[in-house]
Amino acid sequence: MFFQQKFRLLTSLIALIFLTLLFNVYNLQTSDREASLVSVNKQTLDTFYIPSPRGEIFDTNNNKLVSSSLEPHLFLNLRKINANNRSQYEQYIQYNFVDLGEDLIDEIFESEDLLVRIVNIQDLNFDNRQSLISLEAFEIFDFPVRKYEYNNIASHIVGYLGEPSFEDAKDFPLSVNPNIVGKSGLERYYQDDLAGQPTEIIFKDDEIAQIIKGTPGKDIFTSLDIKLQTIATESLLQGIELANEKYETKNKVQKGAIVVLDIRTNEVISLVSLPDYNPNNFVDGISQTDFNKLNISGAFINYPIQGQYPPGSVFKVVAYWLAEQENIFPEGLSSRNQRINCKGSLSFGFDDGSQQVYNDWKEDGHGNVDLGSSIKQSCNVYFWDIALKIWRDYEGTTAESILQQYAKNLGFGTATNIDLPYEANGVVPDRELFENWAISQPERVRPEGWLGGDLMNLIIGQGAITSTPIQVANAYRTLISGNLSYPYINKNRESQSEESIGVTEDFVNFLLKDLNSVTNEGGTAHASFSILGNKVKDVGGKTGTAQNSGDKNNTSWFVGVDSVSNPRYIIATVVEEGGSGSAIAAPVTRRVIQSLREMEITPVKFGEITE
Amino acid sequence: MRDRKITLLGPEGTNLTLLVIFLVLNFISWLTLFTLSDGLSLDLNNSLFRQIVFTLLSVILFFAITYISMDQINQYTFPFFGLITILLIFIFTTDPKEGVRRWYDLGVIDFQPSEYIKIALVLFISKCFVENYNKVYIGIFSLFSISLVFFQPDLGTTTLLIVITLSMFLVSDIKIRSILFLLLLGGVFFFIFLEFGLINQYQLNRVTNFFETVDFAQSQSRLAISSGGITGQFFEVDKINQIFIPVQSTDFIFSAFAYQFGFLGVLLLFGLWIFFFYRVARIILTTNSEFEKFVLAGFSASLIFQIFINISTVIGVIPVTGMPFPLLSLGGSSIIATAVIFGIINRIFIENNVVI
Repeated sequence: MFFQQKFRLLTSLIALIFLTLLFNVYNLQTSDREASLVSVNKQTLDTFYIPSPRGEIFDTNNNKLVSSSLEPHLFLNLRKINANNRSQYEQYIQYNFVDLGEDLIDEIFESEDLLVRIVNIQDLNFDNRQSLISLEAFEIFDFPVRKYEYNNIASHIVGYLGEPSFEDAKDFPLSVNPNIVGKSGLERYYQDDLAGQPTEIIFKDDEIAQIIKGTPGKDIFTSLDIKLQTIATESLLQGIELANEKYETKNKVQKGAIVVLDIRTNEVISLVSLPDYNPNNFVDGISQTDFNKLNISGAFINYPIQGQYPPGSVFKVVAYWLAEQENIFPEGLSSRNQRINCKGSLSFGFDDGSQQVYNDWKEDGHGNVDLGSSIKQSCNVYFWDIALKIWRDYEGTTAESILQQYAKNLGFGTATNIDLPYEANGVVPDRELFENWAISQPERVRPEGWLGGDLMNLIIGQGAITSTPIQVANAYRTLISGNLSYPYINKNRESQSEESIGVTEDFVNFLLKDLNSVTNEGGTAHASFSILGNKVKDVGGKTGTAQNSGDKNNTSWFVGVDSVSNPRYIIATVVEEGGSGSAIAAPVTRRVIQSLREMEITPVKFGEITE
Repeated sequence: MRDRKITLLGPEGTNLTLLVIFLVLNFISWLTLFTLSDGLSLDLNNSLFRQIVFTLLSVILFFAITYISMDQINQYTFPFFGLITILLIFIFTTDPKEGVRRWYDLGVIDFQPSEYIKIALVLFISKCFVENYNKVYIGIFSLFSISLVFFQPDLGTTTLLIVITLSMFLVSDIKIRSILFLLLLGGVFFFIFLEFGLINQYQLNRVTNFFETVDFAQSQSRLAISSGGITGQFFEVDKINQIFIPVQSTDFIFSAFAYQFGFLGVLLLFGLWIFFFYRVARIILTTNSEFEKFVLAGFSASLIFQIFINISTVIGVIPVTGMPFPLLSLGGSSIIATAVIFGIINRIFIENNVVI
């Protein structure tokens, strides 16, 4: 039964409430209006920025190298902290989060920020989180957590994060607000892509007025092969250990680099730098002591692109190319097949009357050598003869720097423009540079300036020349593919125009054949490569042992080509103070080639000592 | 009555007043959303366009529901109530979103069964009253479905459902002292829940904090309403950005409306609703069908209480509860559910030969 009487009563009650609400609104809109307009005009805002999850980084097989996840963090709203409640919050934090030290807690309360991140509360359950935010100065926001899945492996490629310094702020102004920036590696090179848009938390006085959600950063798909990278890192470590075992040098051997490039595309398959670091240690900030330790050990230097070494005999391919292209052979020779007799030393005189004797690394000499076998056995005398020829024919003319011109055409002397920060340029010395140095750094050059001896040093990759491992790898790739381009890690990097260097197919075939002879019977690297068995007939390379000034041991170089019949990979290995290239760098490279070919991987073994 | 011919605007079909009120209220929502969004764009992420799409859908639904006679509605009440209750039970198997389980994810839109339990409960209680079932059992069934909403948890809708149930019992032949007894019982249950931790401290804190501190959103909302004055700022879009109101297009849309259209706008909005309730009340008093009386009373209680809670929240006289303003707030579920209510009311109107 519906009761009309009670219904009428209820209706009156409702009408009364309606009128009360209406009266309330009326009051607000009339008598309170002036005061409200004044306070609206006075409202100002402050913004706190929370970084968005950075883009993730993948290897060529879609393995995640670097991941990002959002996890809830507890924040303290410092605007709500005053003299009265500060100690209460301090105690609460101390009591509930015992892992936080007293210093850290002091730091939290002394911060000038609006909000301070206290701790990750991913492991707290819903109720505990709710009871936290029932305290008015606590807020919970999702904060991105960056994880480097392979720890030290590829650390120099992915880089690490930190708070932007004054210089970082100039390069990446957008990184200032979220207060995080890539300090090195891809994290830095692609900072703007990876970072995305931060979330804005807008404050009105001590209250959070509005939250504008940011957008996450873009993922990066790289050409790296993390499996190969891991094995290459292992191999280089083995090479370094071996060098420490074998040599009794003053300095401990600890630095080295490996570059693996895809010859067809110039994608970087692997890029190893030792010593390395664990980027995960930087996520929540690293202590100054740990940072200094890493810094002193040289771990922050990305040796494949920043290490500048004299290339030694691996540089001989430049003269090899020049000889073929320009028909410049040792005095009296007119083709690659004609021979000179290498007796282990070269005596010669310059126009200024000076008489000199240069000794090859092999005291008994290499016997009769042509262009090809002087690559195979790394004969210095043959190449010195070419330098002498250039010097005698062209000294003082523009053509005297023809060797430097060829080196520059292969990319020596300028950064390769790989997509990583802080790449070094290396040096290709010539008369002009020496004249400049005479003014700016007189201690580096003799007062006589550029001399024939400097050119003879240069042709075997010694003297003032320096190059990075990636430059050397890219130079070999350029010679074999016929095109100069830049190596890249990000598969989606904007495409580039390749520059033809004008080599003939015949030349490339000769080059590959001669590089192949290096790893085969009679070649400098045969001892290190014979373990490949039959397969050795299809790989090639060039050893290099670059002398250093002072009491530093030689720089050990090897540049490998896999394969000779179907050139696919260039592998350049450097061990700083690793001594002979054929003894250390060559077996390290051999182990990387075993991995590339999916063969059984055998330990790095000390090879034959040559240059 | 069952075979009544339904036409779009003809004297035999739709009640014109009801349709016009429904459309004008929707239009007011469009105008308000227009001032809050960056104009109109044909994109479902654009709040104005989204609302327009839902309005069109709800008009179709309004007419579709009108085709169903009250006899049929009466007949399908129990299955409908049962279905919604089952959906409310199965919602506990879904993944929680931001700590609550309230929606079924249907891709483009989320289906929120608690919007429809409002309708189902009104029909259910009305039918039980008409069939003269034992009031204690009716109460127990109602409480069961309400408790399902309580544990989602959705405190706002729970309160609304309790108010609907109480008002319907109140206008029935139940004795006043039984209602008081029920309230007392409810109070006891509340403290038992509290004791066993079924109500979280933070839910209580929200209420207790209200009396200690000024809620920021509410103080901003008061500033917005106040700035409106008598005539309103009328499509002013710069200065309103200086006022920070969260969920401005949904729960706090009344403050934006009052800001733009002033007290005159508020009077118009109130006037439309009061006129609507006046028309409904007249039918309640004149119709011969007990079922229709209870249904109309229940629906009115639901709409009135939503409006009261919403306005009380935005002018800051009660704590924030998260209750949308019917037909004004942005939101698909709410409009669709309200369109169903308007459709049934429309049917009752024409079955009583009230067409203007």
